Amino acid sequence: MSETPTIEQYQKYIQDHDFHALKCKSCGAVIAPPKGMCYSCGGTDFEWTAVSGKGKLVSYTVIHVAAEEFQEETPYFVAIVELEEGTRITARLLGLDPNEPEKVKLGIPVKLGYETGKSGKTYIGFSPA
Amino acid sequence: MPLRETNIVSGAQTKFGKLEGLTLREIFAEAVDKATIGAGVPKEDIQAAFIGSFIPEMLVHQGHTAPLLADYAGLRGLPATRHEAACASGATALRAGIMAIESGLYDTVLVAAAEKMTSVSTNRATEALAAAADDEFESSMGLTFPGVFAIAAVAHMQEYGTTEEDMALVAVKAHRNAAKNPLAQFQKEISLEKAMTPRYIAWPLKLFDCSPISDGAAAIVLTNNERAKQYTDTPVKIVGTGQASASMNLCDRTSLTSFEASVRASRIAYDMAGLTPKDMDFAVVHDCFTIAEIIASEDIGFFKPGAGAKAVREGVTAMDGDKPINPMGGLKAVGHPVGATGVKQAVVLYRELIGEAGANQVPNHDTALMHNFGGTGATAVVNIMRRADA
Repeated sequence: MSETPTIEQYQKYIQDHDFHALKCKSCGAVIAPPKGMCYSCGGTDFEWTAVSGKGKLVSYTVIHVAAEEFQEETPYFVAIVELEEGTRITARLLGLDPNEPEKVKLGIPVKLGYETGKSGKTYIGFSPA
Repeated sequence: MPLRETNIVSGAQTKFGKLEGLTLREIFAEAVDKATIGAGVPKEDIQAAFIGSFIPEMLVHQGHTAPLLADYAGLRGLPATRHEAACASGATALRAGIMAIESGLYDTVLVAAAEKMTSVSTNRATEALAAAADDEFESSMGLTFPGVFAIAAVAHMQEYGTTEEDMALVAVKAHRNAAKNPLAQFQKEISLEKAMTPRYIAWPLKLFDCSPISDGAAAIVLTNNERAKQYTDTPVKIVGTGQASASMNLCDRTSLTSFEASVRASRIAYDMAGLTPKDMDFAVVHDCFTIAEIIASEDIGFFKPGAGAKAVREGVTAMDGDKPINPMGGLKAVGHPVGATGVKQAVVLYRELIGEAGANQVPNHDTALMHNFGGTGATAVVNIMRRADA
């Protein structure tokens, strides 16, 4: 856990179902996805940190027309989730029916999980807590 | 301090739509010819070309496009550079042209832009457009371009009570205006019921909330004060220009109901021009999706945050309203050949301001604003223009 965080390792953690965020060594801000600078304090030294996995739903959509690579997975949710630690990430929504998007309520508590799509990629996702 | 030297003395666009049988360079050359020879500006007077195009590498398998396009259009030998900022490519090329004139480096330059999108499948075009979002953290999980604006729409609906019908009304207005515009991709009015057809692209955005995939080109000639009168009696001055960037990732934005780069770029342009939203007779904004027009109308200060939908409902933004927006039909109904759009917007302002917009002429046309943004709103450009005799 002491190595300098890289985007490659950030992605690998997701593929391994072991999500980690960056933590600013100067001010402690939790940052995900990775940034080259901490916008809270200007720091540029980071370390890995685990997160609680708790968050709330900020906004979302259901994709019906996708790029070729994802078309077989449609319809699927893509959402913005704010983690308990303060940072926001873009993720899939899990355990909800993409054919009834109007039933999803903004602000609901969600919990970190993972989903492997037909594309073979593992996505970070959140389900209702 | 307002810009002093930049005058638009001609502007033209091709028809937008599926231009079958024509390749990128042919479309480009058509717009250039119309804006130069066709408007009394000899090509020999042009000293440099600033060219906008988003992603010809993926759409027509062609890179290094600026010299290729300039050469085909009869401008061989000139400095020709491509400017890329996704859907704001055209307006960033325009800003380069403005800087070239204001600095005194050149007297007369061409700003032209083109995109050829219909020679690939819809999925392939969607993939090319998605390249304007963050590939490592957003596109790679299947977020699309319409998806980005759908996420903004859901947030706007939640915060301000904007409805799917409000968004549909933007599409109805766009089609009503474009019905009179012979260069538009869709020259047909649509009913509210049709605009509400539940064919979802990225819920809650439906087919009629989205601008189409289009081919097209546009060109303008910029020149300094000394030369302007030799080309036209009614030059249009660019008096303010602003550009800003924001995070590519939607998740890094503090607000999803406003595009901060649009707010920043418009404030810079207003300050430079010494003008305010009240001074604007009309605006052309980047309505790549219906919700984008509603949010842009708030971000440029025409309406306060959350009041954009009401303005549409009450007809304030209609051609005969107090603040017409997209009087020729916008991206939504005229078409959106992405890289060409920013220059086309400048052409619309030019034509409206000099009173040559035909059936799409707005009644008050001294001063106006154009707003062009790129990708997820990570680039925004705002220019304020005024007829020289106004």
